[in-house]
Amino acid sequence: MSDSAQDLRTLADEDLMGLLSRGEARAFELIYERHSGPAFSLAYRMVGARGSAEDVVQEAFLSIWRSGARYDRTRGSVRTWVLGIVHHRAIDALRRAVVHDRRRAGDEGIEERFEARERTEVEVARRDEAKHVRAAMDTLPSEQCQVIELAYFGGFTHTEIASMLETPVGTVKGRMRLGLEKLRNQLLAHVVPAS
Amino acid sequence: MTTTAREHQEWSDSLGAWLLGALPDDEAADFSAHLEHCPVCKEDAANLQVAADALPASAPPLPAPSHLKARIMAVVEREAQLLAAAGSEADRPPAPAGRRRWSFGGLSLRPGFALAATCALLVVGGVAALVGEQAFKDGGRTVPATLASERAAPGARAELRIDAGHATLTGTKLPAPPQGRVYEVWIDRGGRNPEPTSALFSPRSDGSASVAVPGSLKGARGVMVTDEPPGGSSIPTREPLLTVSTS
Repeated sequence: MSDSAQDLRTLADEDLMGLLSRGEARAFELIYERHSGPAFSLAYRMVGARGSAEDVVQEAFLSIWRSGARYDRTRGSVRTWVLGIVHHRAIDALRRAVVHDRRRAGDEGIEERFEARERTEVEVARRDEAKHVRAAMDTLPSEQCQVIELAYFGGFTHTEIASMLETPVGTVKGRMRLGLEKLRNQLLAHVVPAS
Repeated sequence: MTTTAREHQEWSDSLGAWLLGALPDDEAADFSAHLEHCPVCKEDAANLQVAADALPASAPPLPAPSHLKARIMAVVEREAQLLAAAGSEADRPPAPAGRRRWSFGGLSLRPGFALAATCALLVVGGVAALVGEQAFKDGGRTVPATLASERAAPGARAELRIDAGHATLTGTKLPAPPQGRVYEVWIDRGGRNPEPTSALFSPRSDGSASVAVPGSLKGARGVMVTDEPPGGSSIPTREPLLTVSTS
């Protein structure tokens, strides 16, 4: 790797985004390397098939490459921004009903196959974070957890969820909000203060 | 409860659904607009965003496949080269105003792109400026785009380079899409509605853009660009910013 490429590795995400917005492909490559894992994990969790998840991630990152100037550091981290775009792309794929036809039984167990790979420090941290958030979600009443899962990971609208659950739309929206409030409180209650 | 308070309560009730992406596109856009003017909902949204942002972390962690990076970087490298080439010509003075007539009407592509032949071209690769469609010795060709005169800034230009089965749309001084929206590239194949593509983009801060158009243009009548919600749409929801006739 060249010295300049090595220098880029020392930059924070926010600084790389400045270079990316000016068409610097190496800056984009580093953003991809840092966030493609969580992006693929989210996409796979939503669309449930490896090929479709790859399509979603590809579309999302190409969108990022082409719209890097739209990143606003005052509105959150690059990770959050990237995953927000992946989420939008996955929802779009789900609502176009493309991926439902492409789910394959062969994808079952993909998590286990991947999780058997080497456990880098980053991967261990990601797994710990996943456990932490899942534990917080487990504390939610089942009906709140259900609507959050259907909405966020299933890509369903509130009216679709209301129809599926045969529940008034207002009730569904209320459960979403209450569930998020409780999840927030759980997450903040278990944040380990910096020493 | 006053009407205003009742309306506010309705917005407030939708906050969770908005954060989870569970509002239809039009309602989500309305909610985003409401947030800009409602400090109470804005603060509530900021508080609950913590929970929504944590949700992706609950997905079982998986590494992205290595071949995916190669696939994405191939496109990025190609577009970076085109962008660099276009950038060297970005300061070229626009063609005489009398020869440029940006116009379009409606979502359907206007037949007969005679006007396009008078549009100034964005020059790619340092080649001298030309007028109208240009064929290259290597078999590729470029076709100038027709931009919506009421939306494109003076000097805005775009063209489609079609080369060996690949098409790339490049532009300079393009306007940013409206807040909360992105541009989507469509292919017109003569059907009732144009075919959506996965090409979503926003111009860079200087208005430049370079986007690979996915799929084949064989038999296509043209390409167009509209602004759409993040994630794109399956049918256009806005008038096109630009159109390119390829037939």
